[in-house]
Amino acid sequence: MNWPFLLLDAADNNSVANYFPIGIQLIFAAGFVATMIGVSQLLGPKRKTADKLETFASGIENHGDARQPVAIKYFLVAILFVLFDVEVIFFYPYAVNFRELGWSGFGAVLMFVSFFLIGFIYIIKKGALKWED
Amino acid sequence: MNAIIFSALAGVVMMYSGIITSKKTVIKYIAAIALVVLIAANLLQVYGIWQISVDTRDMLSFEKFGLVFNTLAFTATLIYVLLSGKEIENAGVNVAEYFALIFFVLCGVSILSSFNGLLMMFLGIEILTIPLYILTASDKRNLRSNEASLKYFLMGSFSTGIMLMGIALVYGATGSFALHTNAPVALSATGGIKASFLEVAGMILMFVSMAFKVSAAPFHFWTPDVYDGAPGVFTSFMATVVKAAGFIAFIRLFEGHTAILGPTWKILLAFVIVATLLIGNVTAVFQQSVKRMLSYSSIAQAGFMLFALYSSNDMAKEGLLLYSVAYSLATIGIFAVLIKLKDYAFDDFNGLGKTHPALAFATTVCLLSLAGIPLTGGFFAKYYMLASMVKEGGPLWLLIVAVLFAAVSVYYYFRVIQAMYFKEGTPSVQTEITSGFKAGMVLLAILIILLGIAPSLVLNLFYF
Amino acid sequence: MSKLVYLVPLFPLLGFLINGLGRKSLSKTMVGIVGSGAILASFIVSLCIFFDVKEHGATVVNLFSFIRTESFSIPFAFQVDQLSSVFLLIITGIGFLIHLYSSAYMHEEPNEHFGRFFAYLNLFVFSMLLLVLGANYVIMFIGWEGVGLCSYLLIGFWFKNDNYNYAAKKAFVMNRIGDLGFLLAVFWLLFKLGTVTYGDVFANVAQLSTFDITAITMLLFVGAMGKSAQLPLYTWLPDAMAGPTPVSALIHAATMVTAGIYMIARSNILYTLAPATQTVIAVVGLATAIFAATIALKQNDIKKVLAYSTVSQLGYMFLGLGVGAYTGAVFHVMTHAFFKALLFLGAGSVIHAMHHEQDIRKMGGLKKYMPVTHITFLLACLAIAGIPPFSGFFSKDEILMAAYGKNPLYYYIGLGGALMTAFYMFRLYTMTFLGNFRGTHEQQHHLHESPSAMTIPLIVLAILSVAGGWIGIPDVMIEHGHQLEHFLAPVFAESAKLAEHHHLEASTEYMFMGVSTVAIIIVIILAVNAYRKYQDNGAENTGLGKVLENKWYIDELYDAVIVNPLNALAGFLKNVVEKSGIDGVVNGVGRLVGYGSRQLRLLQSGQVGNYILVMVLAMVVFVLIWFNDQTIMDFLSKIF
Repeated sequence: MNWPFLLLDAADNNSVANYFPIGIQLIFAAGFVATMIGVSQLLGPKRKTADKLETFASGIENHGDARQPVAIKYFLVAILFVLFDVEVIFFYPYAVNFRELGWSGFGAVLMFVSFFLIGFIYIIKKGALKWED
Repeated sequence: MNAIIFSALAGVVMMYSGIITSKKTVIKYIAAIALVVLIAANLLQVYGIWQISVDTRDMLSFEKFGLVFNTLAFTATLIYVLLSGKEIENAGVNVAEYFALIFFVLCGVSILSSFNGLLMMFLGIEILTIPLYILTASDKRNLRSNEASLKYFLMGSFSTGIMLMGIALVYGATGSFALHTNAPVALSATGGIKASFLEVAGMILMFVSMAFKVSAAPFHFWTPDVYDGAPGVFTSFMATVVKAAGFIAFIRLFEGHTAILGPTWKILLAFVIVATLLIGNVTAVFQQSVKRMLSYSSIAQAGFMLFALYSSNDMAKEGLLLYSVAYSLATIGIFAVLIKLKDYAFDDFNGLGKTHPALAFATTVCLLSLAGIPLTGGFFAKYYMLASMVKEGGPLWLLIVAVLFAAVSVYYYFRVIQAMYFKEGTPSVQTEITSGFKAGMVLLAILIILLGIAPSLVLNLFYF
Repeated sequence: MSKLVYLVPLFPLLGFLINGLGRKSLSKTMVGIVGSGAILASFIVSLCIFFDVKEHGATVVNLFSFIRTESFSIPFAFQVDQLSSVFLLIITGIGFLIHLYSSAYMHEEPNEHFGRFFAYLNLFVFSMLLLVLGANYVIMFIGWEGVGLCSYLLIGFWFKNDNYNYAAKKAFVMNRIGDLGFLLAVFWLLFKLGTVTYGDVFANVAQLSTFDITAITMLLFVGAMGKSAQLPLYTWLPDAMAGPTPVSALIHAATMVTAGIYMIARSNILYTLAPATQTVIAVVGLATAIFAATIALKQNDIKKVLAYSTVSQLGYMFLGLGVGAYTGAVFHVMTHAFFKALLFLGAGSVIHAMHHEQDIRKMGGLKKYMPVTHITFLLACLAIAGIPPFSGFFSKDEILMAAYGKNPLYYYIGLGGALMTAFYMFRLYTMTFLGNFRGTHEQQHHLHESPSAMTIPLIVLAILSVAGGWIGIPDVMIEHGHQLEHFLAPVFAESAKLAEHHHLEASTEYMFMGVSTVAIIIVIILAVNAYRKYQDNGAENTGLGKVLENKWYIDELYDAVIVNPLNALAGFLKNVVEKSGIDGVVNGVGRLVGYGSRQLRLLQSGQVGNYILVMVLAMVVFVLIWFNDQTIMDFLSKIF
């Protein structure tokens, strides 16, 4: 093959060599990006100070560590709140389908609520909602 | 349905029993009675005498296989509670809650033995595993217990994620959660059935997740750490009833799908089986702690149980029931003795044969059963697994590999027997050993031998 | 009634459990009552079953499924028919008498060992009943192994003596050689017919080729040779006399050693179809009968004489089986059980009185000290010698007549053996009971008749030894006199159809009876005369006598030909092959596993991140394999 006529040959020749120009193009594309990143690193201005490593907090100075122990009660109450909050969500679809579901639906919801009631009594008896001890 | 409802109710009852009384022994007896009631309720359904029927829209289906498994699992739990009840009492402060969690696990077990759709399977698995995370961490002041629980939780939720992804893909491909309706199947070029890409990908993801639950290699990594870190009593429960239930779910899930999965399925499964046997058996050899050895041994036993999945014919299902019983009883027995000792090292067993001959005898029978020595239940269990594989036309090399690894397993089981009978020393028994416990252990050993002489005792349950 | 057959082995099993578990806490009286009572209960049930079978014929009682697989199933079933009911009576009846006897004989043992003894004895009866009752070869094999085990335990009962342990080991090993043959035969049957149940095997026997039948029957016979002490596997039985005397009476004379005869009688159809095997059995039986009788001529240990006599009598039974006289063989089993048990118990009584002295050269003149023992022993000697109308006469005569029908040579050799039997038995009798006492003064001072728990069994057995033969009086004497034959006929019906019949003229038969009786009486007189004035002059036997006294040097021969080369081979294998080859391989495998274990352990790093990474990688590999299975298959097929 005569390489100066490569592009011409590519049009009518169906071989691996036909993809050669595309390969060249890919290498160019990747190479350009890499070169630009490298060059900007080399030529760009650099100023190394300790302040740069600090957390940016709108210019206000940091105080202490964010990882402080929090009383488990917060989590407990939060989780219990979520549980009982989600319970309420189930009433919306029931309210919408109240008529169709009839007595059997009512029984099912009653059972659902009674289970929650049992759970509620349980956490109260266990003292999960006691804030001070 | 009886099993699911009664186990859930029993869980609630146990929760409240802790509020009503603070006597640990009373709580234990309430749990034992609840278990008996649970077994009775389930038996009523097995024999078609009485059952609570609820319209589940075909999401659950109660077949003989699952119901019989429920019976066996509940009975194993009862034996477990009777033998190791003392240790459950001493595991921590919230005894009632431990029992409640065990009952919730049993609720998950009964769902897993009867699900008829992916949704119910997912619910069952979650109900089964979430209590286990808590039980693993029940030794609250112990760092290792906490670490194990956290590890278990992290990896368990990871596998749950994979399972959900799989279910979603299968639903996307078939438009249904149902197990056995596999909608559009196209014929591939070679003439075999070829399912859509999404469905197969979904099945692979579910396979990975289930393999994780039953601790098959290379998804077994959580097992040694969690089993080792968790309090001994709960390891005993996790390694037996829970694992067997995992296998029941596994085989129910894949039973009807082997045609879609094609020949590659068998190759991959064979790979998983060999890897599981290799890792379980070979790593167990070097362990210094009996507890850790047993957790590797549970991986090795899982390798054998996977043969049921490989053949998934009727014989395999029978065999799986037998295996579950033989394996569970033997492991419960060994753990019951193990958790009476101070550490879990091999040396703790030194001289047990002299000081407590009855216990040593029962432990020996349990170990022999695990190793699959004839005249114990374990032998017929292994025999059924391998025979079903051969019947299904499995390759010979797989059989040879399985038998070789069974031979390797004899080594580490006999180390315990050796310690009991041939090494001098005084076993560091921590808890007092009552004569009731001894009698229970001997009865358990007799039961295991009985299974080895007449395995039809269990198998006939399946037919009558 | 036959449905209750499971009770028969159940009682001894319960007895075994009670005595075995309570051996430290139960008193000796209690142990004796439990042990003997269990067998008595079995005997009563057996009696009922016997009459039931007589009325209603044979049945098979299915208890439960023992092994169930795809290709075959083995039920745990009991065969209740004429043959097994006769054996049931022998085992439980004589078993009970011997239990009763033992409660007095073993009374000097410490409490715990006394209980152990009765537990073993009950376990033995249980196994023996299982052997006889099983409705297929597998159940029979379980019983077969069980009696072997009990025999081992009881021979080595006094385990503090190394020689006894060695004898027990020898019995076990010899039996094991036979068991191998038995097991191979069972597998062969299973392979060819797919069943081991008697009914199915005998019904489908036509499916087997002549070669198969011959091979199976030969292998079964190898099993019988071990258990019933035939040439060349007989040497364990004389050594087995190390066990307590009641054990010798029950196991090594009356019951266990006849298991081989039972098995062949049970499989009679197979044997009738294998004439080659029958010839082998007849020849081996006859050879054993003669060979053991010659050894018995010169033995001086009271129990050894009886032991060789047992081997010899078993040889006669096999001769009977070999010539197709199955009824005769079973008949002889029965009468032999009576008089040989009696002889052993009598010998036990003597040994008891002599403070464990067993050498007959140091006895003599015991007649006046132990009248009951003396009379019963004499009756037994007459019975075994074959004097009419004692029981041994009828059964031995029936076998010899059948042998004559097959080949006259068998008869003449057999008669020679019978003469020797008469000689050594009366030598034994004379040296023990007649003449002057040759023991120490101290022994003479203590001589006494045994307690009634020992003499009552002797008397009962003596009555049976005398009268036991009357149920099998030959038809030439009394029309339909042979009741046993008529009773057993259904079991041997198939064989009787196939076999050719030789009928001797009544006059010929009478002539043979007359000649043999006269010859035996002459021999007896000779023996009594020769040994009445016996004095131990310390002279060594010479020539043939010495050879006989040393039992033809068979034990030495076995040592030289089999044991020593085996030991040498074992030494070679152990030192050379095992150390370098097998040990190397085994240790190598062990080391490999250990190494692998240590390496695989490292995978378990404890880092959740690593675990999940491996899981994800595995998942990716799965997906890749699954969706490229075609490519992978192609690739693999190119490589291989």
